[in-house]
Amino acid sequence: MSAISLRNVRRAYGDAFALDDVTFTADAGQVLALLGSSGSGKSTILRLIAGLEPVDAGEIRVEGELASRPGWSTPAEARRIGMVFQDYALFPHLTAAANVAFGLQNTTRAERESTALAWLDRVGLGMRSNAYPHELSGGEQQRVALARALAPAPRAILLDEPFSGLDPVLRAELRDATLTTLAETKTTTLFVTHDAEDALQAAEKLVILKAGRVLQEAAPREAYDRPASIEVAAALGPINLSEGRVEGGVVNTPFGPAPAQHLTNGASARIAVRAEAIRLSPGAGARVLSVRPHGAHDLVKIEAGGAIWRALVPPRTTLGETASVTLHSDGVFAFSA
Amino acid sequence: MALDASSALAEASTPLVRNAHRLDGDVFTMLAAIAAALCATPAIAVFALSLRPGEATAFGGALLRDGAFGTLALTLLGGGGALVLGATAACLVSLCRFPGRRVFEWLLVVPLAAPSYILAYAYGAATWAGAAPLAVQGFWGAAFVYAIGLYPYVYIAMLAAFSSQYSCALEAARTLGARPLDVFWRVALPLARPGLAAGGALAMMEIAADYGAAHHFGVTTLSTAVFRAWYAHGDLRGALQIASILLLAALVFLWFERRARGRAAYVGRSTRLSAPNRYILNPTASVGAFLFCASLILFGAILPLAWLARLALLHGNVEDIAGPLANSLILASAGALGTLALASVIAVIGRRGGALGRSASYAAGLGYAVPGAVIAMGALGAFTLLREAGIVGGLSSGIALSALLWAYAARFSAAGVQPIDAGLSRLAKGLDDSARTLGAGAWRRFTRIDLPISAPSLAAATLILFVEILKELPATLILRPFDFDTLAVRAYSYASDERLLEAAAPALLIFAAGLAPIVLLARGIARLRAGERHP
Repeated sequence: MSAISLRNVRRAYGDAFALDDVTFTADAGQVLALLGSSGSGKSTILRLIAGLEPVDAGEIRVEGELASRPGWSTPAEARRIGMVFQDYALFPHLTAAANVAFGLQNTTRAERESTALAWLDRVGLGMRSNAYPHELSGGEQQRVALARALAPAPRAILLDEPFSGLDPVLRAELRDATLTTLAETKTTTLFVTHDAEDALQAAEKLVILKAGRVLQEAAPREAYDRPASIEVAAALGPINLSEGRVEGGVVNTPFGPAPAQHLTNGASARIAVRAEAIRLSPGAGARVLSVRPHGAHDLVKIEAGGAIWRALVPPRTTLGETASVTLHSDGVFAFSA
Repeated sequence: MALDASSALAEASTPLVRNAHRLDGDVFTMLAAIAAALCATPAIAVFALSLRPGEATAFGGALLRDGAFGTLALTLLGGGGALVLGATAACLVSLCRFPGRRVFEWLLVVPLAAPSYILAYAYGAATWAGAAPLAVQGFWGAAFVYAIGLYPYVYIAMLAAFSSQYSCALEAARTLGARPLDVFWRVALPLARPGLAAGGALAMMEIAADYGAAHHFGVTTLSTAVFRAWYAHGDLRGALQIASILLLAALVFLWFERRARGRAAYVGRSTRLSAPNRYILNPTASVGAFLFCASLILFGAILPLAWLARLALLHGNVEDIAGPLANSLILASAGALGTLALASVIAVIGRRGGALGRSASYAAGLGYAVPGAVIAMGALGAFTLLREAGIVGGLSSGIALSALLWAYAARFSAAGVQPIDAGLSRLAKGLDDSARTLGAGAWRRFTRIDLPISAPSLAAATLILFVEILKELPATLILRPFDFDTLAVRAYSYASDERLLEAAAPALLIFAAGLAPIVLLARGIARLRAGERHP
């Protein structure tokens, strides 16, 4: 049974659709990432699932039970869905421990306190339990917010851009720590991000959004290797674009033929080539414009027939002024135009 | 002119640049220091002069005791009333949904248009004419007028606290399973507490500073005691001593307000705007909420305004108020422009920070907290010293007017600093720095960047200052030249002579003028909500 399911959900603000016909499911215990640029509606989805806003069409179910449909909505306080807000929304007048204890009800005071402390310990903040939010660093606040959302044992947890305000080193560290905690508790998790790396590394399932619509719902590997559209391919990593006609199962690009067997001969096609699918070797065919280190790879700008592409190649690849180019079929995608 | 020449020189010839730049900075720093001194001097003069040795006065002790008791009782009762009314109204319109809520949201600030003494005259006149539902008089009348007229201070402070900044915390509480009343008691109210305290302190500061209403209702307060010592007993020293006690009380409120506001500042870091989810009230509660808000506006603005209008039409005559109106307009215009100049300098230097910036803002804030009667006594005392030293002659009309303008500037520059500062905050942080890297000195940055960008807020500040000065009573009463009546003074003298019906016309004009800045305020509240995505 799916933990959370959305079916044909629509949400409008005035005349503008924030969400249009959104359908996807998250399985129990799964970590699902909603990936999209700003304005894609991903945060709105979280607010609808949390019950903070009503749906205008469609329905939302939580553990099979109807939570939202037009004109009817289980109140947020009765849903048992935890949420970590983008700016954490910690209660500024309460200590870290009191923040975490806030959602614990129907138990004794002593029990609430010990549960809150246990959660703070778990996120590595046991020593900061008496600190007020403004005394905590950004990363610490994020961890308190996570502990606060998890403490009442919610049926699912929603994270709105959970790592966006943090510097890159802390970000990776916190992402791993957060995922470990979530995996330990086996909590169904939906998180919103505009960062492809976060989504690919952290999620078991991706829902890629654009302008309020779902572009693709798939496992990260599948979405990366078999994107449903150019937009999806571009959302998950740097790509190069080309256009042409299909001839004999291939489309000729300035840098060589791209396989397009699934398209009919003579049809016009759009080609997306992942930067790392470009292999360079000594030879001719393309001019090398620049070579720059780019993390674990070198970023090489190449030019042929007036087109400039970007290639990610193993570092310190020896290149002359020109190079011979081959396109690795794993990272070449053809779509009918 | 000399300044323009120096910057022109600086641009023209490089060797002079460094010198010119220093001059540039020095002039501006000097202006700021003068502005700060002008704001702070009256208050300091009151303290200094009250400590001058002299013979003890027989009545001083009793006046001081009665005044202190009256002020304490009225601030507690009137301020407490304003606190309850304002907080309830703010909670209702911020957290609940009921018919009329959106209109009430901005309409509820309207009672702020009338200063307490005008409300007092309106109720007095209506009681006189038999139109008021119950007799509003004496101590309780004063407390009522303060509560109904000053609750918007609390209301506004709490409205800001409940604005979208907090909706995130309220939502977080809901996702953690908190029910509506839980959300209110455990999150909303604690978050709004600094706003509540700041607004309450502001209302109490106003009550302590008020002279006209307390005088009208015959309550002895520190403010009325200052007047009695000075006018009835001709005792400047006694008046200064009472004024210095009043000043101390005002400083306590100021300190309290600053502290509360400082606490409020770190709260609500959320930058996201989203509509708060308001609770829908059941029909009975909706009617109750509607009636509560409606009666605040009815008794705080509509009824007094209607009574004054009716009585003014029946008993007012044009010749009688033409002179005072002209005097008021002249004085308020001159005062507003002078105060604006002071406020601009203080706002800019305050934003640049540093010790001078902080002390200038503090001096301005101090002036605002000091009751008009105290400021006037301070200005009077300072001029008395100058006369004793032989620097100025007798208190001619010209000198009295300049003392009065000074008192206005010292009292109200903080009211001007606030909107100008808000305008300056729109300046991107890097702007000043980039102007610096482009070689602009302090003066050029002020005239070429700060002033143009804050022009709209300067206009707003001018309006606010104009109306504040038009409404001002006690300082005007003490420092005006002989036979120079303003609207406020004319209304006051009619009311003192128990000619309340004739006081209606000047009171009505002051009330009407007070509505203008309220429109700005209401628009500000509307803008507070404009960022919300959804009703």
